[in-house]
Amino acid sequence: MTPRFEQLDHTADLALRIYGRDLRELFASAAYAMFSQLAEVAGLDHTIERIVRVRGTDCESLLVNWLNELLYLHETEGEVYSAFRIDELSSDCLAATVHGAPCEEIYTIIKAATYHNLTIDKSGEGFVATVVFDV
Amino acid sequence: MVSKKEFKRLEEYLWEIPQDHRSDMRVPARIYADDALLEAALQDRSIEQLINTACLPGVVKYAVAMPDIHQGYGPPIGGVAAMDVKDGVISPGAVGYDINCGVRLLRSNIEADQLKPLMDELMASLYNQVPSGVGKGGDIRLSGRDMDNVLEKGSAWAVAEGYGTKDDLEHCEERGGLAAAKASAVSTKAKKRGSNQLGTLGAGNHFVEIGEVVEVYDQDTAEQFGIFLGQAVLWVHSGSRGLGHQVCSEYVRKLQSAVVKYGIRLPDRELVCAPVDSPEGREYMAAMAGAANYAWANRQLLMHRARQVLQEVLAPRFKNISFELVYDIAHNIAKVEEFVINGSPTKVVVHRKGATRSFGPGNPVLPEDYREVGQPVLVPGDMGTASYLLVGTNEATEKSFASTCHGAGRVMSRRAATRKMRGEEVRRRLEAQGITVRGPWKGLAEEAPHAYKDIDRVVNVVHKAGLARKVARMVPLGVMKG
Repeated sequence: MTPRFEQLDHTADLALRIYGRDLRELFASAAYAMFSQLAEVAGLDHTIERIVRVRGTDCESLLVNWLNELLYLHETEGEVYSAFRIDELSSDCLAATVHGAPCEEIYTIIKAATYHNLTIDKSGEGFVATVVFDV
Repeated sequence: MVSKKEFKRLEEYLWEIPQDHRSDMRVPARIYADDALLEAALQDRSIEQLINTACLPGVVKYAVAMPDIHQGYGPPIGGVAAMDVKDGVISPGAVGYDINCGVRLLRSNIEADQLKPLMDELMASLYNQVPSGVGKGGDIRLSGRDMDNVLEKGSAWAVAEGYGTKDDLEHCEERGGLAAAKASAVSTKAKKRGSNQLGTLGAGNHFVEIGEVVEVYDQDTAEQFGIFLGQAVLWVHSGSRGLGHQVCSEYVRKLQSAVVKYGIRLPDRELVCAPVDSPEGREYMAAMAGAANYAWANRQLLMHRARQVLQEVLAPRFKNISFELVYDIAHNIAKVEEFVINGSPTKVVVHRKGATRSFGPGNPVLPEDYREVGQPVLVPGDMGTASYLLVGTNEATEKSFASTCHGAGRVMSRRAATRKMRGEEVRRRLEAQGITVRGPWKGLAEEAPHAYKDIDRVVNVVHKAGLARKVARMVPLGVMKG
């Protein structure tokens, strides 16, 4: 399954619209979409496995906290990830296994995923989210 | 979307959305702009974001936007809001993710013409030796105790470690450190994120630039700042790197519950805040100040490295070359300052997000050598046009909480800029103008001059509106992007 997303125009920052057949796929696609803006992720080796667990107060905060936790790991460990398996997803907790490789070259720095104009909506075929990143 | 007819034109360059425009506004929203810049601001959601900012508890007088305003997240970039410390809030989103992103300007004792034949060598040396930190760390590793000192002392830590002089500290806003900082308010994760990034430039619009003074508008003030026509100058633009981003992300998350606890209603979740006088508010202030100090230390180290590189290249060719700091200013920060509100002196937290402090003559916090003329205001432009040195005014105290613009302001998204012109083409065009450029292709495409507003127009507005006065105009000779 190829993650589905598109980039939207936003004057200062980076805005992505992300699609998923269910919430788990939406969260995985959002992470893939974010890393595809940072580095070349097609064909990335999966030599590293990390377990990620975040908490939130609702679906929106879980999404922001998940993406920001991945940015933290990316910067502190010097790694890029391209495969995301959501192992657990409840109203206030997310656990995932992510795969990637040491970072060779990155295009840019993403400072953070923000709550600005953040939306997660149910659509006919599943879910669609819009996330604005500060870059 | 807001339209132009909803504004009242109060002065030639000042427009206001009255408080009754929306029922949740606590004060009016004001923008300094000419017709064209106001129309540009109306193209995105920046005015709506300014109106949202005017809804925050304890906001006083008006929310103010500078002519370089553009859409951000939460409040707009180019926005200023002051909240009463007694009943107002402090908001991480009104400072931004890159806490104390800022700029410093150095004057040299050499003519730019003498450097022009050496630009390839100078820019290659800077690019090779000033770490960008994009995808990898710098060459300084901080121990736990060092990190706490950086967070609590800022530039003074760097100078004590041998990276610069006491004179550098005199010429920084807040002498390069906020006393409100507490290392304990900065999380272990934020410290880890910052531990190998000190002394690195970062990506986006951050840069090191060699420029030339091409116009002097105010000879006396320029002399006071050590600036002369034809002079070579150096600019450094960077911030608090991953540490600041982590601090902001964490407090945007933490304060989601503070908003519920204190019963604060917000038009945009990214505006989350806490009362200034609350445990949550005090903790954010202490962490934000720590990140601001990290940024000052970072710019001090970047400047020190750049000075060393310039010395290495130039010392064999010229005698007694020097690069001295004119000034360093923050343009993403919140600070407690005092202003007269409704006739009485009031302590407020001034949030400047993409805005520069602009203190006028006589202000006691300015260094002695500038006190008579006012604070240097540094306004860097895009890679291809110009940058300005301005001086603060006392008029700005009343008009904009002593604030002015911070740059040209984006007008085109990074995506649109990249679509319009590839990095290679941007570099070719800049080099055809005589500007030597070093940086990654994607970064160059995103930061192309056509992605920005006309800086001359932006500066003209703040000059004519009295928020700062023009002192000198500079053009780039060589630019290094992170």
